[in-house]
Amino acid sequence: MTRTRQAYIVLTAAALVLCYASTLRGMFEQWSIDDDMSHGFVVPIVALWIVWRERGRWQALPAKPSWWGLAFLAAGAGMQILAVFGGGLFAASVAFLVSVAGAVLYLGGFVFLRAWAFPFLLALFMLPKLAIVYSQVTFPLQILASRIAAAMLGAVGVAVVREGNILDVAGHRVSVQEACNGFRYLLTLGFVAVVYAYLADSKPWMRFALLAVVAPIAIFANALRVAVSGLVPALDTGTPHAVAGYLVFVLCVAILILMRGLFHTVYARYHA
Amino acid sequence: MKTRQGASIRKLGLFLGCTLCLHAQTPVALGTAGSFGVLAASTVTNTGPTVVSGNLGVSPGSAVTGFPPGTVTGTIYTLVGSLAGTAQNDLTAAYLDAQGRACPGPALPGDIGGKVFLPGVYCNATSVGITGTVTLNGNGDPNAVFIFQIGSTLTTAASNSNVNLVGGAQASNVFWQVGSSATLGTNTIFNGIILAQSSITLTTGAVFNGRALARTGAVTLDSNLMTNPNTSPPASVPAPPSLILVMAGLAVATLYLNRERLLARFRRT
Repeated sequence: MTRTRQAYIVLTAAALVLCYASTLRGMFEQWSIDDDMSHGFVVPIVALWIVWRERGRWQALPAKPSWWGLAFLAAGAGMQILAVFGGGLFAASVAFLVSVAGAVLYLGGFVFLRAWAFPFLLALFMLPKLAIVYSQVTFPLQILASRIAAAMLGAVGVAVVREGNILDVAGHRVSVQEACNGFRYLLTLGFVAVVYAYLADSKPWMRFALLAVVAPIAIFANALRVAVSGLVPALDTGTPHAVAGYLVFVLCVAILILMRGLFHTVYARYHA
Repeated sequence: MKTRQGASIRKLGLFLGCTLCLHAQTPVALGTAGSFGVLAASTVTNTGPTVVSGNLGVSPGSAVTGFPPGTVTGTIYTLVGSLAGTAQNDLTAAYLDAQGRACPGPALPGDIGGKVFLPGVYCNATSVGITGTVTLNGNGDPNAVFIFQIGSTLTTAASNSNVNLVGGAQASNVFWQVGSSATLGTNTIFNGIILAQSSITLTTGAVFNGRALARTGAVTLDSNLMTNPNTSPPASVPAPPSLILVMAGLAVATLYLNRERLLARFRRT
């Protein structure tokens, strides 16, 4: 790589950071204050680590700069302008990713974009919550978690009364609020599933397969967490509650590992 | 003159009685019945756009009519095998508990409208009516408990009757144990939990912050707004922050992927 080329890359990166400074600051703030999104700090680190891990592969690729990069950059700039005029942080964050993709295209071409496609897709996990979607799904998720938790308790013979998103277990009442709706498990388990599939399996379809099973696992695990909190009053607050939440999440990861093993076995048998 | 003296003596007696019954009572435990806004034994019948907060149950009967146009924020349970059956058992225990609390007397007057009551147990072996406003004063204690033991019927007069809570009194701590039936007149504003031996009727427009729990009879509603009495807020059970979840998940996945290397190192040591 020539010095001129290196200078281009550094200048482009600096320009992107400068242009999207307010967006990056907004994302950073949201990761800091929103417990649903605090995993955002980890996402760019993991994405960059994967880029570094794959360096042997992409360093061997010939750079074929594409003018499409400019189109991407223009699209990103347009989105950023829309974001400034009311599109919000989500639109601005998407604009940032589109612009980064544009810069990669302009300097390296489609071969580089393809080589870095996985880290780019991974970066989607750091985007802020899209408010319009979140507000639509949050209450149904709360009710779903409450229903499943009540069904779980009922299935093991515990008398439970559900009033909307409130469970009453022999007078001990727990409320499935927004922060308990399972969205957090869904996002974080999705991210862990994709990274695990990448590390454990060379088959790209495995990432999508594991991603597909994340939703039911996360929803049931969250309901289990709520059910346990309802059943054992000592676990509904403070450190014991947090520890129960971590243990249930670790259980989810264990199920993911089992699912990957299952998929792999079925695939191997089918292809044998 | 004699009449005035008699009235004064009765008032003094009532005051002294109230003072005597000022020993702290514990609330009547409702068990699973505490999740029901309406619980009946035979039928629940509604007319008009009633709103019931909480569950609605009938046991051992199963007839529920008038929903819709009425709405229930919780679930409708019917028959013995359902939660309503369990709640009826709990209601019986609660009813007997309320009925068995020691009542220091004197007996409540036939109409308690216009009176002010401090926390405690009050009783009348026959019927009690409310015409106008009866005030229950918690005396600054949000846990203050009021128990009214009524041998026969509880009736509020049509229009303007009101059970008013002041001084921190809460509807969830007011128990009306009614030996027969309770009838709330039109547009009554009522606070408390009615534990009726027989039936409960809310006439048109009565607003009820409490629970209507009938052991052997029906509950009849007509365009009423029934809200849950204040209870302690339920515990919220948020998931841990996603940052720690992701780090825990990645740590577990990494450990699993490197398990053989780690085990080999462990065996060597």
